[in-house]
Amino acid sequence: MDQLRKKARELLESGAVKTVIGYGQGSGKAVRAVFIRQPEQTEKLILDERCRQNLAVYLLKPEVKNLGKPAVVARLPVLRSILQLAAESQLADGQMVILGISPDGQLLDFASLKAVADYVSAQSLELPPPEREQLEQIEKKSPAERWNFWQEEFSRCVKCYACRASCPLCYCSRCAVECNQPQWISSASHARGNLEWHLVRAMHLAGRCVNCGDCARACPVGIPLNLLTRKLGEEVFKDFGLRAGTTPELKYALATFRPEDQEDFIR
Amino acid sequence: MSRIGVFLCHCGENIAGTVDPGKVVEAANRIPGVVHSVDYKYMCSDPGQNLIREAMRDKRLTGVVVAACSPRMHEPTFRRVCAESGLNPFLCEMANVREHCSWVHEKSELTTAKAIDLVRIMVEKAKRNRPLFPIKVPVTKTALVLGGGIAGIQASLDIANAGYKVLLVERDPSIGGHMAQLSETFPTLDCSQCILTPRMVEVAQHPNITLHTYSELESVDGFIGNFKVKIRKKARGIDEKLCTGCGVCAQKCPLKKIPSEFNAAMGMRTAIYTPFPQAVPNKPVIDKKRCTYYLKGKCKACEKACPAEAIRFDQPDEIIEVETGAIVCTTGFEVLSTEFFPEYGYGKPKDIITGLQFERLASASGPTLGAIRRPSDGKEPETVVFIACAGSRDPAKGIEYCSKICCMYTAKHAMLYKHKVHQGNAYVFYMDIRAGGKMYEEFVRRAIEEDGVKYIRGRVSRVYEQDGKLIVKGADTLLGAQPVEIEADLVVLATAMVANSGAEELAKKIHVSYDSYHFLAEAHPKLRPVETNTAGIFLAGACQAPRDIPETVAQASAAASKVAALFSADELSREPVIAVVHRTAPPIFSICEGCFMCEQACPFQAIEREEIKTRDGKLIKVVAKVNPGVCQGCGTCVALCRAKAIDLQGFTNEQVYAEVMAV
Amino acid sequence: MAEFEPKIVAFVCNWCTYAGADLTGTSRIKYAHNVRMIRLPCTGRIDFMLLLKAFARGADGVIVSGCHPGDCHYTAGNYHARRRWILFRQLLDFLGFDIRRLHFAWVSAAEGAKWAETVNSVVEEVRRLGPFQNYQQLARAGIE
Repeated sequence: MDQLRKKARELLESGAVKTVIGYGQGSGKAVRAVFIRQPEQTEKLILDERCRQNLAVYLLKPEVKNLGKPAVVARLPVLRSILQLAAESQLADGQMVILGISPDGQLLDFASLKAVADYVSAQSLELPPPEREQLEQIEKKSPAERWNFWQEEFSRCVKCYACRASCPLCYCSRCAVECNQPQWISSASHARGNLEWHLVRAMHLAGRCVNCGDCARACPVGIPLNLLTRKLGEEVFKDFGLRAGTTPELKYALATFRPEDQEDFIR
Repeated sequence: MSRIGVFLCHCGENIAGTVDPGKVVEAANRIPGVVHSVDYKYMCSDPGQNLIREAMRDKRLTGVVVAACSPRMHEPTFRRVCAESGLNPFLCEMANVREHCSWVHEKSELTTAKAIDLVRIMVEKAKRNRPLFPIKVPVTKTALVLGGGIAGIQASLDIANAGYKVLLVERDPSIGGHMAQLSETFPTLDCSQCILTPRMVEVAQHPNITLHTYSELESVDGFIGNFKVKIRKKARGIDEKLCTGCGVCAQKCPLKKIPSEFNAAMGMRTAIYTPFPQAVPNKPVIDKKRCTYYLKGKCKACEKACPAEAIRFDQPDEIIEVETGAIVCTTGFEVLSTEFFPEYGYGKPKDIITGLQFERLASASGPTLGAIRRPSDGKEPETVVFIACAGSRDPAKGIEYCSKICCMYTAKHAMLYKHKVHQGNAYVFYMDIRAGGKMYEEFVRRAIEEDGVKYIRGRVSRVYEQDGKLIVKGADTLLGAQPVEIEADLVVLATAMVANSGAEELAKKIHVSYDSYHFLAEAHPKLRPVETNTAGIFLAGACQAPRDIPETVAQASAAASKVAALFSADELSREPVIAVVHRTAPPIFSICEGCFMCEQACPFQAIEREEIKTRDGKLIKVVAKVNPGVCQGCGTCVALCRAKAIDLQGFTNEQVYAEVMAV
Repeated sequence: MAEFEPKIVAFVCNWCTYAGADLTGTSRIKYAHNVRMIRLPCTGRIDFMLLLKAFARGADGVIVSGCHPGDCHYTAGNYHARRRWILFRQLLDFLGFDIRRLHFAWVSAAEGAKWAETVNSVVEEVRRLGPFQNYQQLARAGIE
């Protein structure tokens, strides 16, 4: 934490960045994102196990861009989000200073996106057992049980789109759900509207989701929607050998192909 | 508001026999937006077409749906009727109630109900159709031909004779390719150089052809009709304008023992050299990798000797930029070297040579002036063994295909040997004889019956040296796989024809697909053999697959005719069924967020990047843009786009959605 | 009791399957009534949202069919489509959607008989599964 505060202070004092995006104390026990602009205010930065929010989402917001060149506190999911955004031409090398945080809380220095990519490649991106367990629990159910499970979960959805707002990779200024010529996805919060929304969102994130879990954390009614994107992320890796957020070069699963892709279900 | 006219065709009894026309017409009338609904016996006939014309005029139709046969049959017919009457042809659709309904079902209510559904689906689409206009793309009438072998020479001459400019680029110091290395060609035993060199000279002298030898393609940008090409003219080390081709430099060069590429290492050359006496252009080039001056800064014997003072050691490479409208790829082939064969000694025995090397021995202008001599001791071989299918048709060697020309040239080589060494023994080990061309079978028969070449059906498992001879161990399968052992003086391997080195790199530069053997891919194996999947890029000759000279020349002319067709108009007119990225109002300007997944997916590289700027030039965002000259209208980008910023004209999201909702 | 007639929507590519279906017609091979075809230039154009919409409109089964891999008129559209379907199917299965109602086929312009066979077998399979209650219940929620 001290390392981080010191570095943040240096960056602001030297004018290298105009704002530091990090974690600060929220109300009660909550942690919230903070945007530090004065060097003295860097004392507000905190870093502990509660600091999980994917801060990369702020890098594309016009309000934050207007503050000037940012530094962003980046745990592994945030690093991966940054790489994925760079691959999708949303962020450029040198556009922000990346204050990497290792799994044991140490500050990491990255001179370029390539350095970030090298670091990320060295990490294990396999699902930790508890996360795999969560997927398997659903996969074990029969199709009817699965349908009922998800219908039950989605029944609480009120279409607040907090999941979309919290995801760094949902940056479309006009989301597909907002298109009404034609109305692809029903915006109503009934059973069909909810299913369509979550299904389409999961497909649009296939091979792009870095499994940060912010969507599930942001959901006010506690739907485990990160499981959908996590499931597709695993499938993309299993079937196509690609993982989101590992390189600043675009290699999107659905924009590439191999003649040998498996097809045991096609007549 | 839509004013759609529905026209149901009976097609005689083909439709009316199973579908109830009255019910369909009545149901169509009730679809919102339809203001006219009739049926007729033969819609495609003149009276039928007139019905459409009159309705268009009388009812002020904004769209037409003809419920009849498949659009693959008559869409152009009905679109023309509309166009002639002043309605944009893309506002006309066809509902396929014949091939997809009346012909595949029995007469019943279900069949009529299905016909009504099909009509309704197309009406809903037609209501959302927009007028579309053919896209015009300008055409630069210069062709770039890559590769100066017989394919490139033929293509260049044909295009130039059609009146268009040609830029011929060749990697080696001279054009001519492998055909220049051949002694005689099958099945006529013409002297190869005698038939080739007049063409080479014609190329050099043709007013429409610009020749760049010792040059390579550096990069290609752009699209059909508008390619921007960069060519690297490698430094020859001489001033071509001053050089007279006298050859004194090569005479004076002290380095005389460099294996000659033209002679397939059967002979030597100097460091400053002209590849062969009939080279076009007949100017030398300095081999920078061997020349003493470039390696150690000494010698300069050629510079001292040159009467024209044409030597330029410090000459740099030159990059030339040109605009061309079409590219013809004729980069040719290579043959596998003898090193590829462990069973034949990895090429170490000097007297095991390839077919191409044998050509150089047999050639009157070759290192032995046409005498067949063993490379090891220069003696005339008394027994020569020719091994066909060396490497080809061999999955174990990774080459499954047949190299096509080897059966023929092996017969030729055996004949040439027998013509020169009458008492010699010639053996050919073969698997099959592939002699399918005109006069080919007769040629092979000649070798066997007139020239006494002995053909043994079997493969050779080993060749090794022993006391100055080569022991060839094979089998004769027609005698029940009886082992055959021959003591040979010379062994000629008909090695496989493979893609030229650098083929993969070149293919990537010009965005042409290639197979696992690095042969370039044609657009369709039967019906589009000289086109590639990149519009405006054609191919001919052995770069596509093994082939002989007659086929190569035919293909080269075919490619030239495609180029001539492309250049015949000043503008290319293209079907407007293409993708388009929509713009919208400020402050968003475009729904596209510039993720460029579409750019990665597009099979034709038709997506480009476009900067949206303010009036003061400040960048707002970079978005995708479809090149209307290249897009083929597949719609992969449209399905891929998350924000639905890109749409396919003629099959827009709205149109297809309406079709689904009408089911 | 009238037998349940499933409603099948087929999304097909113009160059292969649509032409193949034309051949079925020209050859007068009869097949089941239940299918309604939507013509698209290439399977690459088929958005997965279209398949959802078909089910929402009451389709009991959906067929998606195009050119065999390697034969795509646009060279690679069907390869991209195939990847999309691999993922879409897995997501649907994960959500408990009955993927036995979604069928995929490669039918070339020469395979008129295969098209008829495909339609007939899909109609029979979906007939056995019955009406798509799950989705039709969803469709009744909401006005569209």
